[in-house]
Amino acid sequence: MKDASIDALIDGLATDLKPVRPQRVLRGGLWVAAGWIAGAAALLWTFGMRHDLSAGLAMAPLPMLAFWLIAALGAAAAWSALRMGLPAVGRDYSGWRWAGLAALALPLSAIFIGFGDTHGAMESMRPELGMRCTIDGLIAGLGVGAALFAWLKGGAPTSPARAGWVIGIAAGSAGATAVGLHCSSNDMIHIAMWHGLAVPLWGVAGRLLLAPLLRW
Amino acid sequence: MSIDEPSLARLMAASQRGDRAAYRALLGDCQKWLARYFARRIAPHQIDDLVQETLVSMHRKLATWDSGRPFLPWLAAIARYRWIDMLRRQRDEAELGDNDAAVGAEDDAVHARISIDRMLGYLTSGQAQAITLVKIEGASIAEASKICGQSESLVKVNIHRGLKKLAQLIESE
Repeated sequence: MKDASIDALIDGLATDLKPVRPQRVLRGGLWVAAGWIAGAAALLWTFGMRHDLSAGLAMAPLPMLAFWLIAALGAAAAWSALRMGLPAVGRDYSGWRWAGLAALALPLSAIFIGFGDTHGAMESMRPELGMRCTIDGLIAGLGVGAALFAWLKGGAPTSPARAGWVIGIAAGSAGATAVGLHCSSNDMIHIAMWHGLAVPLWGVAGRLLLAPLLRW
Repeated sequence: MSIDEPSLARLMAASQRGDRAAYRALLGDCQKWLARYFARRIAPHQIDDLVQETLVSMHRKLATWDSGRPFLPWLAAIARYRWIDMLRRQRDEAELGDNDAAVGAEDDAVHARISIDRMLGYLTSGQAQAITLVKIEGASIAEASKICGQSESLVKVNIHRGLKKLAQLIESE
């Protein structure tokens, strides 16, 4: 009886078969890159570039370092999320964690700088001076968040909870890099706190809001 | 009949192009492979249901196999996902059924990697014993209680907690 029902299922599935276009990481990666560029372009088109960049100069060293650290985290997280869409036992999706550890250099540096200049640190941490950057970062990350969510929704992530985290971290990092191109601050505490805050906020949102939608 | 990786990969590539005969053959082979895969992981009366669920999931996610990569790890990932899903449902429903003994299964590289025996090693001895007796060997709660010397309620608690931890462990692999 059971064999008969499985045979009937197999017949039904075979009859239902239609050609499929295999998902390619490269194609997903192009969508993510487009989302990243669109988010950054929208922010910069609306609010403009930081002063040094708009004057044709190089970015100051500290914000440039922060920009590349966060960009590396975003790229590593996006790559992990893309690979999660094409499952296989034994695949390693943890590369983004090393980039995340490296990016911890930003808040750690900010803490040590804050110890040396408490008054300046308190000033940098005032929400009215920084909250706007966080909000901009959250919004600018929407493009990458949407692209990765659509990719994983069509894919087969075998750990939706982890996929939600990684989508959020990639989206938050993309938003933070966009803000890094817009905000003129060279203050490490401001960058680490208000720009970087988009990363954990997006991560939590990915885990809580997106992960349940990725179950299949 | 041996189910070898290159043949399955060829059938899968043809299936992605819409070849129904190849797909029917592939599903038949996958059914056998999955039945063996689940035999050491769940109670015998649940195997057919889980095989069918996995075949349906495989059908829905056909596009996620990359022809440049091996087929069996892909199938195993989908099977494992469905298995975790079933563990969660069992935990949530506290469904502690009676059934007969599990049959043995052949080992292969993919099976060994996520073998239930290895996973049980991460649980407490009480949890591992309760899950082995009830969920794998098919003993009733009362029988398991007598065999392992735990009260019936403790057997249920150990199964509930053990399954929860197992699902987390398998997912984090």
